[in-house]
Amino acid sequence: MDITLQPNGAFHSALVHLEPGDQFKSDSGAMFRASSNVDNDVTTISRGGGLLAGLKRMAGGDTFFLSTYQTTGGEGGEVGVAPTLQGHVAQVDVESSQSWLCAGGSFLGCDGHMDLTPRFQGMKGMFSGENLFFMEVSGAGPLLVGAYGSIREVPVDGELVVDTGHVVAFESSLSYTLSKTGGSWLTSYLAGEGFVLRFKGQGRLLVQSHNPREFGAMLGRRLPPRRG
Amino acid sequence: MQHAIEHQPSYSLLNLSMDRGDRILTDSGAMAWMAGPLEVKTSTRGGVFQGLKRKLLAGESFFQNEYTAAGDGCELALAPGSAGDLVEYPMTGQELLLERGAYLASTGSVVCDSKWDGLKGLFNQGLFILRCTGEGSLFFHAYGDIQCVDVDGEYVIDNGYAVAWEPSLQYSLTRARKIRSFLFGDQLLLRFSGRGRVWVQSRSPQSLANFVHPFRRVQRKNNS
Repeated sequence: MDITLQPNGAFHSALVHLEPGDQFKSDSGAMFRASSNVDNDVTTISRGGGLLAGLKRMAGGDTFFLSTYQTTGGEGGEVGVAPTLQGHVAQVDVESSQSWLCAGGSFLGCDGHMDLTPRFQGMKGMFSGENLFFMEVSGAGPLLVGAYGSIREVPVDGELVVDTGHVVAFESSLSYTLSKTGGSWLTSYLAGEGFVLRFKGQGRLLVQSHNPREFGAMLGRRLPPRRG
Repeated sequence: MQHAIEHQPSYSLLNLSMDRGDRILTDSGAMAWMAGPLEVKTSTRGGVFQGLKRKLLAGESFFQNEYTAAGDGCELALAPGSAGDLVEYPMTGQELLLERGAYLASTGSVVCDSKWDGLKGLFNQGLFILRCTGEGSLFFHAYGDIQCVDVDGEYVIDNGYAVAWEPSLQYSLTRARKIRSFLFGDQLLLRFSGRGRVWVQSRSPQSLANFVHPFRRVQRKNNS
């Protein structure tokens, strides 16, 4: 498998070249182009639920459907993937000794032979549609992440606080706790800060320059209400 | 007439320097700024019926504007409705098919007509596409990056991401075989076959709208 990043301006994408036997897993909505000999198998990832549980979460704005792509007919092929929002794509070369956690909305795809384990966090949907879901990616291989805006690597050594909406992916050697920004629930709410992740330890962390949830909220409140 | 596509690929803009007699046909609303003695003629281009057809069926503007330079040294800047890439396609009498909304401008004798897409249906949430013919330059745009794919055999593009393609390509709308796969947006696929080029955009306005939708306030059923 060979991945070509297409860092064109503000709208990055990635083209994944597959050889026979290669597999590539991605968020089901991420594929936008593919060779015709690429086969797509869709599965759901859920917390013990089946298809319906997946659908319910999809209504919440997140898709946790995984597509597994592989070529057929003994020939190579390609799959192009891109994030929904305007932004960058980055490749992380995951080593077998160190798994990564990837924010649900940032996960674009990874080598199909890598293991994916969903990690749902508590306090889901508390204030503003906060939906904390991480995909743990383990095994050696390439991981693709997409961002809203640009991606920046911040090395953590000690302690670092990041708004949940800006987290893209991080090494699982980092321990983290979900908390509010500070003060009481009320001040946290009024300050407009949702939840933050407090990282501790040493490891690599990727953050994005913009927060998709803030962008969604900014547009959402200007639109007429939808039916409940 | 000289032209340059500026600020590619994310914020592309078409900048034209026009001398007396130069003409360009644009999508209505595309003009961003202009200088010099330019005459604007708004027309339905091909008559009311053609205009109506474009508007109702292909989702294009009812009107197209024709800018004619009445003197030398005119400047005209044309901007697409969204951030993204812009492509110049030279037309020498051949045909090009455009996704609805992709047309920005054309020079020479290039004209656009809406085309009933028949039973292939559902294409880009609409049944009609634009067929461009003539000689000159055709400019089309899309939200996101535009990538050109040389198809020789078959190629698959997610519904909503195809911007333009050459008529030598056949295409059909296909669904994945599995029932449960039908639930997902990317399971409505356009399958192009033959030999020719197809231009793909890397972002979808529909996906963006789907992203924003859950953030809308919810109207309670018994709103008091």
